[in-house]
Amino acid sequence: MATVTDLSPAGATALDLHVSPLGRVEGDLDVRVSIRDGVVTSAWTEAAMFRGFEIILKGKDPQAGLIVTPRICGICGGSHLYKAAYALDTAWKTELPPNATLVRNIAQACETLQSIPRWFYALFAIDLVNKNYARAEGYEEAVRRFAPFVGTSYEAGVTLSGKPVEVYAIYGGQWPHSSFMIPGGVMCGPTLADVTRSIAILEYWKDEWLEKRWLGCSVDRWLENRSWADVLAWVDENESHYNSDCGFFIRYAQRIGLDRFGAGFGNYLATGTYFNPEKYARPTIEGRNAALINRSGVFADGVYYDFDQANVREDVTHAFYEGNHALHPFEGRTEPLDPAVGRKQGKYTWAKAPRYEIPGVGAKPLEAGPLARQVIAGKPGAESWQDYDPLFHDAVTTVGPSVLVRVLARMHEAPKYYKLARKWLDELNLHEKFYIKPQELPDGRGFGSTEAARGSLSDWIVLKDGKIENYQVVTPTAWNIGPRDGKEINGPMEQSFVGAPIADPSDPVELGHVARSFDSCLVCTVHAYDEKSGKELARFRIGEGA
Amino acid sequence: MATLLWLQGGACSGNTMSFLNAEEPSACDLVTDFGIEILWHPSLGMELGEAAQQLFYACARGERPLDIFVFEGTVILGPNGSGRYDMFADRPMKDWVYELANQASIVVAIGDCACWGGIPAVAPNPSESVGLQYLRKAKGGFLGGDWRSRAGLPVINIPGCPAHPDWVTQILVAVASGRAGDVALDELQRPQTFFKSFTQTGCTRVQFFEYKQPTMEFGQGTRTGCLFYEFGCRGPMTRSPCNRILWNRQSSKTRAGMPCTGCTEPEFPFFDLAPGTVFKTQKVSGTIPRDVPTGTDPISYMALAAAARVAAPRWSKEDMFVV
Repeated sequence: MATVTDLSPAGATALDLHVSPLGRVEGDLDVRVSIRDGVVTSAWTEAAMFRGFEIILKGKDPQAGLIVTPRICGICGGSHLYKAAYALDTAWKTELPPNATLVRNIAQACETLQSIPRWFYALFAIDLVNKNYARAEGYEEAVRRFAPFVGTSYEAGVTLSGKPVEVYAIYGGQWPHSSFMIPGGVMCGPTLADVTRSIAILEYWKDEWLEKRWLGCSVDRWLENRSWADVLAWVDENESHYNSDCGFFIRYAQRIGLDRFGAGFGNYLATGTYFNPEKYARPTIEGRNAALINRSGVFADGVYYDFDQANVREDVTHAFYEGNHALHPFEGRTEPLDPAVGRKQGKYTWAKAPRYEIPGVGAKPLEAGPLARQVIAGKPGAESWQDYDPLFHDAVTTVGPSVLVRVLARMHEAPKYYKLARKWLDELNLHEKFYIKPQELPDGRGFGSTEAARGSLSDWIVLKDGKIENYQVVTPTAWNIGPRDGKEINGPMEQSFVGAPIADPSDPVELGHVARSFDSCLVCTVHAYDEKSGKELARFRIGEGA
Repeated sequence: MATLLWLQGGACSGNTMSFLNAEEPSACDLVTDFGIEILWHPSLGMELGEAAQQLFYACARGERPLDIFVFEGTVILGPNGSGRYDMFADRPMKDWVYELANQASIVVAIGDCACWGGIPAVAPNPSESVGLQYLRKAKGGFLGGDWRSRAGLPVINIPGCPAHPDWVTQILVAVASGRAGDVALDELQRPQTFFKSFTQTGCTRVQFFEYKQPTMEFGQGTRTGCLFYEFGCRGPMTRSPCNRILWNRQSSKTRAGMPCTGCTEPEFPFFDLAPGTVFKTQKVSGTIPRDVPTGTDPISYMALAAAARVAAPRWSKEDMFVV
């Protein structure tokens, strides 16, 4: 491998790394970073693949999004379906029977429960056994647990991750890529055995993976942790906690410094998910916030705000699309440019830059994902039936955000969502309706949104004359890996790279940790360029993902 | 030991996600029990850093033997044939695909996108996507209709959106254990062992189909009837084992009340999602299904249907999948 050239007369090193490709969600992601004195000073994220789903949807059947949008991302396909169904519910002004809301909630939760261990073991933890850490205390234990294919926790974690989506298949027929949620409800009419089997599968997954391997304690004991100090105390409480995958990860992550970089802006967005069946029986855009069990909200510069979809913009100044506008998605346009042309206009990625206009403050890039959700969960004023959880608001305001905090926020959702899914299964009334046939209105506007495992995911649909006039999807990946905006403000992930220490620029695993802590599931090829001459110094690949 | 390299083009990763649901064998078993050496996969494996980059070049140049090249996703040709809509490691992905396909002993297309172009190739096909040897139903695709791998085989198409994990793992085990010659392909280059039977084969609604009793409503309405008549189910016209080899070991779309969308066929999504076609049976004269079961014609089918309705027992008009 190439070594880093000493560029500055004072002995400080400066170089650019070009990470290409670094993404595997909606295509590959390239990342370019500038490094000075071993620390990242600037970053550019470049999504490298374009398929044009929003263009395909124009002029199609109003329900085409139920089939097409799950195929945007097979990892979050159930989440795509969930929000696409609600976009139509609001446009067609449907009525949803309580069972339909419950089944949708259960399915959405099960997709995320699948994703948590699969993401941790197959994508994230692989980097923990990087040879750069060979001298770290606990490295051999990390290899024993997390080495791909053969690690004692890897195989069990990956294989057991398929269990929650068995429950999804009972209601949706299959996972991934069912389209069983439709305006007015769900297609299925479950039987008693469907529900009892679902409970048994979920309990098996909870026993075998969540409690036995991950937590080393009961779900309820873990959920007693209400602050970061509680989490650290939990690790040392007994041998079972200490030696669980979670306990080991927290200890090892601190040893290799994952608590010390990857902070980002510290500004967060959750559009919220899971509806109270009684409160969202007639879905509307305006009534959405008040019906959410896991609430929506914005947390910026230490202040909580309510979320309003009307404040979302997509800025294409640096994206490979015509123009340099920042439009609300109802007016959004997707007009691709040849990247060779776009680059000459200062554009560098296929991801648009979503921004949120905070009234009186201005447009903000916001981080989406589990950490964002869990920070919003600490917002005061929750109803008794809504999720209130102060743990991660405490974490970001005491120790501050980092790779470790972001990862733990994700893992924290496993016990929470397990309990919710279990409760919703108990609430199904098999003798009542699962669907109420709606009137198919030829014209209308709809907004649907949810929290995919990796963050807020929303559709804006405009129907005209019985066809799709405009369809815009804003993904968590766009929120997180989107580029600079018209004011040259970084996207959230770009900002999270800033300040990351790079111990070995020929194998900058730290970039992989940051990228994968967002669950952008990244394939990374790194090219190191001399910052001044632009000459390539080194080229290598740092990671991968699905 | 067989070497395998898996890349993704215009993909959603859904086939990889489906693959990771596999049991007997699981993705891990393929490596530890069946000796498949996964040289690289977007979400699995250890090859990192310079080693992986060198590995691609070594395989593409034929310096490192590649037994199985698996491709997921479309081959993106846009804009204007340049491939610049999908860059991978600084090159258009299509250039990697061309070189790797021509070095591999066997090439496997996983999922509709790699087989036929799939959803991204729906009009107006903004990314100029194609499958490896087909574009929708037309033979040719990226590699050309006459293309053959080093082992003398065309691309093995394992379609579906996504493909079922067992369809993938069983074919990989067959190929890795030297049984590639036993993988008999149909006229669309799909393994016959999976794609000779119909999606309807094994469907729990087949008795309702026998007596031509329709499901009239989703949700609670799917406790009875067959989805073919009103909701556009393509089970009788689609080749797949979805009701023989269940999904996620539990169910299938049609069992759960969702009409088959025909996703193992090159025309998926049918009618290009034109207004009025989604989850609705297309009919002639308001009553006769435009597409009738494979191998029948509308007139004989309607005669059969009339007789079947006359013979329909009372239970075939009642709920069967009850609480």
